[in-house]
Amino acid sequence: MVFSGIPFLYYFLPIVLLIYFAVPQKLKNAALLAASLVFYAWGEPKYVLLLIAEIVTGYISGIMIYRNRGKAASKIWLAAAVIFVVLILCCFKYADFFIENFNALTGISLPLLRIALPVGISFYTFQLLSYVIDIYRGDTPPQKNPVTLAAYISMFPQLVAGPIVRYSDVRERLEERHTGFDDVGEGAEKFIIGLSKKVLIANQLAELCEIFRMSQEPSIMFYWMYAVSFTLYIYFDFSGYSDMAIGLGRIFGFRFKENFNYPYISKSITEFWRRWHISLGSWFRDYVYIPMGGNRCSKFRWIINIFAVWCLTGLWHGAQWTFVVWGLGFAVILSAEKVLLSGVLKKAGPAAHLYTLLIVVLGFVIFNAADMGQAVSDIYCMFGGGSLPGVSEEAMYYFKSYFAVLAIAVVGATPFPSRIMKCIRRSKLYNKIMCIAEPAALAVLLLLVTAYLVDGSFNPFLYFRF
Amino acid sequence: MNEKLKNKITAAVTAVLLLVISLFCILKPADDFSESERRLLAGAPKLTFESVFSSEFMEGFEAYSADQFPAREEFRGIKAFAEYNIFKKSDNNGVFQAEGHLSKIDYPGQPDMWLNASEKFRNIYDNFLKDTDCRVYLSIVPDKNYYIAGKNGYPTLDFDELAGYFRKEMDYAKYIDLTGQLSAEDYYRTDTHWRQEKITGAAGKLAESMGVISAGNCRINELDRPFYGVYRGQYAMPCEPDTIYYLSDEIIDGCRVTSYDTGMPVEKNMYDMEKAVGKDAYELFLSGSDALIVIENPAAEEKRELVMFRDSFGSSIAPLMTQGYSKITLVDIRYIQSSMLDAFINFENQDVLFLYSTALLNGSMALK
Repeated sequence: MVFSGIPFLYYFLPIVLLIYFAVPQKLKNAALLAASLVFYAWGEPKYVLLLIAEIVTGYISGIMIYRNRGKAASKIWLAAAVIFVVLILCCFKYADFFIENFNALTGISLPLLRIALPVGISFYTFQLLSYVIDIYRGDTPPQKNPVTLAAYISMFPQLVAGPIVRYSDVRERLEERHTGFDDVGEGAEKFIIGLSKKVLIANQLAELCEIFRMSQEPSIMFYWMYAVSFTLYIYFDFSGYSDMAIGLGRIFGFRFKENFNYPYISKSITEFWRRWHISLGSWFRDYVYIPMGGNRCSKFRWIINIFAVWCLTGLWHGAQWTFVVWGLGFAVILSAEKVLLSGVLKKAGPAAHLYTLLIVVLGFVIFNAADMGQAVSDIYCMFGGGSLPGVSEEAMYYFKSYFAVLAIAVVGATPFPSRIMKCIRRSKLYNKIMCIAEPAALAVLLLLVTAYLVDGSFNPFLYFRF
Repeated sequence: MNEKLKNKITAAVTAVLLLVISLFCILKPADDFSESERRLLAGAPKLTFESVFSSEFMEGFEAYSADQFPAREEFRGIKAFAEYNIFKKSDNNGVFQAEGHLSKIDYPGQPDMWLNASEKFRNIYDNFLKDTDCRVYLSIVPDKNYYIAGKNGYPTLDFDELAGYFRKEMDYAKYIDLTGQLSAEDYYRTDTHWRQEKITGAAGKLAESMGVISAGNCRINELDRPFYGVYRGQYAMPCEPDTIYYLSDEIIDGCRVTSYDTGMPVEKNMYDMEKAVGKDAYELFLSGSDALIVIENPAAEEKRELVMFRDSFGSSIAPLMTQGYSKITLVDIRYIQSSMLDAFINFENQDVLFLYSTALLNGSMALK
């Protein structure tokens, strides 16, 4: 089930909210767990068992790691839990990738497994890993109530598309939380804004990308329009979903951390990755990069650490060479920035911003390509390869048709609208009417989103495949 | 203080909206058919263990919840309004308005569909026409986009390329070019089809090319109900309806129309007034889609037959061709296997006309 769908908005969510707020405090986690299992089963009924198996693994190993802390058994339980969940992730997500490459290297024809990828497995696997590792490190005690732990791992607001929420960040609120009007009001606002980003902006940009792929009149302009549209699309799609997750979490009394912080205003790739998918970046930093030695080692080892982390980051996004190349490309650029470019970029002003955007756009062209052949071809054509015309009538038509959407997306990807809102909120006049104007605007947005959902069947969600 | 009040109002407004719309979703009786989109709406899926486990229930429910949404047409109108007026899009779901016409972007051309259609036609020729004395003709009805899309800045498929392709692949047929006989005004403003009262010139060109005459001075009859064409539903915004006019004369009135859609002969009317008040008033012409229709003209001066392979455009032009033929057989191979045609038609010394619209040729997967 997707948040940006009618079954979720007008069947699942109202029923869950009614039940959740009706049950007593001690049953709230059970209600949340039940809702989350229904939510998950909606897309993949059979994989609910897999989710439960992983929760049981996390529950038992967490307690055993804690009971045996300081002993070798603690490490064994940790290793067993990590191996189990990582193996499951590899089986479902990477088995065919490995088989394909093994076949290509050896000439053997091992059959592909063709197993459907369980929704959200990359997200809940990482949550489970952080849970058991944090217990092993002594950062947090294990959760003794299996229902509470299951509610955390399977919590539907962030189950299928993140952000990756660490147990230590929500432990206290899992035990006890109270939801007031401020939580519901601010949560609803965040949710509706995220929903609007997804439905009103991201879906339209996805349409434009789809139109580009079907085009029979390729031109350099159309390639660039596609590249920019996809770059904006993936931001509005993913950050919209994160906003919805954070907003829903708030309604249920949780405070999830922000996952995006205007990444496209960055002036270096290093800064970009501090602002993009923050929960994933910090996860790799805390559970892979730093344990490998981080930057407190020889320069050679440091570079190796960076490449290892970015190879894994690429693979996390998908079992395809395009993702690996995408990740390793960032490793090269990040290494170069750390070793050579940091001083230059600080002085470069707007050029640093342009440099960052260019790298990001080209990166997402590789990211979205079906294979490396298409990635190379797309980039080649963007720079005038293939004897393409600069402009085509078709490209001009779609540029004009989508100009407003693109313009809104470009402005919306900067802090500009938020700053304007802050200025308006500071004015005395607005202060008097804000309590009506903002809820009214949100209601209009919700109705507009509903109109788009009712009319359109074009509602893909990219991050489900991770 | 105001922040707290705002949060309270936001929470209340959101809750009320979600709950009220949710209640309407649950309580609203299901509709069977969407008049504006001319399609059956999804019904509630059956809830069984198997349907849930196979995800069939969930998929069915997704379609059901979108199709049966309360005030669906109004919400579709809001979306269309936002597309045109807020996002300033040039089209909504591919539908646009230009020169007072609603039309749908037919770009890009689908060469695989052209190939499919030309292969189907080639099979018909090879199996039934090759060794006969039938005279084979081809004519393609340009979409109204041919006259309005390009000059208004909308992408449109290259009609000349499409026509050139079929002329080359169907080198066994003599091509009859209708583009000079038609203009944007010859099509309904809200529909894809041409207007019968405006296509006497096109009928004349076809007839002349095949060596016969077409209907001359006909009476123009007006259908006494508004006609909202297929694009009106997709447009989802208010627009003026069309009026359907249909032509008649002594010959047209005297023709006998027989449908073999079910295999058994069923007498029909040239202009079906029951269909005219149905879901699609254009079905007035020869009762709409039908696999096999025979029009017999007892007043014909000579015994001459026309076999017309056609789509829905053929329904309105066929009555105008009756003047020159004693018998016209209309075949729609979307509804009949083309390999079985010899069970119904004896191909011998006929004019055989392949008359298809660009829309059908560019989306020919329905041809059998």
